[in-house]
Amino acid sequence: MSSTAEKKGVDDALATPHTHVGAPIVRITALRKSYGDNEVLKGIDLDVMRGEVIAIIGKSGSGKSTLLRCINGLEAFQQGSLTVDGKPLLYESAMAMRELRQRVGMIFQSFNLFPHLSVGRNVMLAPRLVQKKESQQNAARARQLLARVGLADKFDALPDQLSGGQQQRVAIARALAMDPAVMLCDEITSALDPELVGEVLRVVESLANEGMTLLMVTHEMSFARKVANRVIFMDQGRVHETGSPEAIFGNPQTPELRQFLSSLND
Amino acid sequence: MIEFSLWDIVSNLAQAARWTVLLSLIAFTGGGIVGLLLLVLRLSGQRWLERAIAAYVQVFQGTPLLMQLFLLYFGIALLGVDTSAWVAASIALTLHASAYLTEIWRGCVESIPRGQWEASRSLALSFGQQLTHVILPQALKIAVPPTVGFLVQVIKGTALASVIGFVELTKAGGMISNVTYEPLLVYGCVALIYFALCFPISLYAGILERKFNVVHR
Repeated sequence: MSSTAEKKGVDDALATPHTHVGAPIVRITALRKSYGDNEVLKGIDLDVMRGEVIAIIGKSGSGKSTLLRCINGLEAFQQGSLTVDGKPLLYESAMAMRELRQRVGMIFQSFNLFPHLSVGRNVMLAPRLVQKKESQQNAARARQLLARVGLADKFDALPDQLSGGQQQRVAIARALAMDPAVMLCDEITSALDPELVGEVLRVVESLANEGMTLLMVTHEMSFARKVANRVIFMDQGRVHETGSPEAIFGNPQTPELRQFLSSLND
Repeated sequence: MIEFSLWDIVSNLAQAARWTVLLSLIAFTGGGIVGLLLLVLRLSGQRWLERAIAAYVQVFQGTPLLMQLFLLYFGIALLGVDTSAWVAASIALTLHASAYLTEIWRGCVESIPRGQWEASRSLALSFGQQLTHVILPQALKIAVPPTVGFLVQVIKGTALASVIGFVELTKAGGMISNVTYEPLLVYGCVALIYFALCFPISLYAGILERKFNVVHR
């Protein structure tokens, strides 16, 4: 499964972002977002380096999913700025938004596969429509990506015929087909039966090992500890504490984080 | 006085029924096209467009079809355009059907989970691509039974076109009963022909509903 960037397009390798390794690929500056009077993000500053794997943890309602959804423009923010792989987020321009979304893949808690299309067509739809990819090349790429997530034999199956874990792996292949520079994972194992969590996390881990930049909102603390380079603890719309997994889980500094971590062990 | 046999009555009514069918098809097709256009405009996210179309729907749903026919028939004439009962009935029924169809279809589109919009948007699809490749193919399945069911309403609605002098099934029935003095027989036949047109469609709508329910569970 290991491969290098030079072989891109020939095998199942990931795309090469414009940003250099170790340079910031996502820059979030003083970002504020509110729903009416309710401010849910109260000034977020965050630089994500290329190849970095970031786990965002926190109570529900702390704004972690909202932050993730701001990065690909599913949520609009009122103040601050955000760039992805050198492209700024401009809500006014539908073109700029589509350009940006081609750089950002997103995987959802509820999979959101297109139920009327076969697995293969789910994966091929966006490259065909958005990148105008030639159909044979597109199909070959879809088969590679499905093989990569362990579902080579499901090309013609319908999403309804798959287990939750399989559906989520198709969703990962579908996002990868657009060659994103950054991948956003929004509680991607929360809707899965416990025995299916592992197969999805293994795929995510393989992406991390190959240098994909990952931002994941997760409740899987052991996974965050194992895979993440940096853990961000959010509380009440702010980045409350940030650090290496060892520091965050082993030596929490603030009472809020200590309380959150101890609540998980109850 | 000329004698009318039952056969005469039925064959005359059957000929007039052709106009009922034609007017229904015009209203249904025209209403479908206008309704789809309104649906797309309504989904495009422009607040004022949404409001304007919602008002349009309310006007047509909140007034009797008979008034809509009168207003159009006499309204167009007031504008100095010489209009036939044909044109007025076609336009009135088309607008009427478009208001109902756009509302039926909006309900179908809204029943598609929000995640489908979000996933397709995240994959950089444009609004048009989202609609044509992701949302509408799914909404269509849900929309078929109520849409076919609405066709029955349109067919029965064409009966009202008789009041502005359009000779379709109901109007022909009135004319024949005036000369035969057998209103019960004639209108009985009229009702039977309407039933013969509508019942198979209702039946079909029911079958479709069951079929799609099985698929969707």
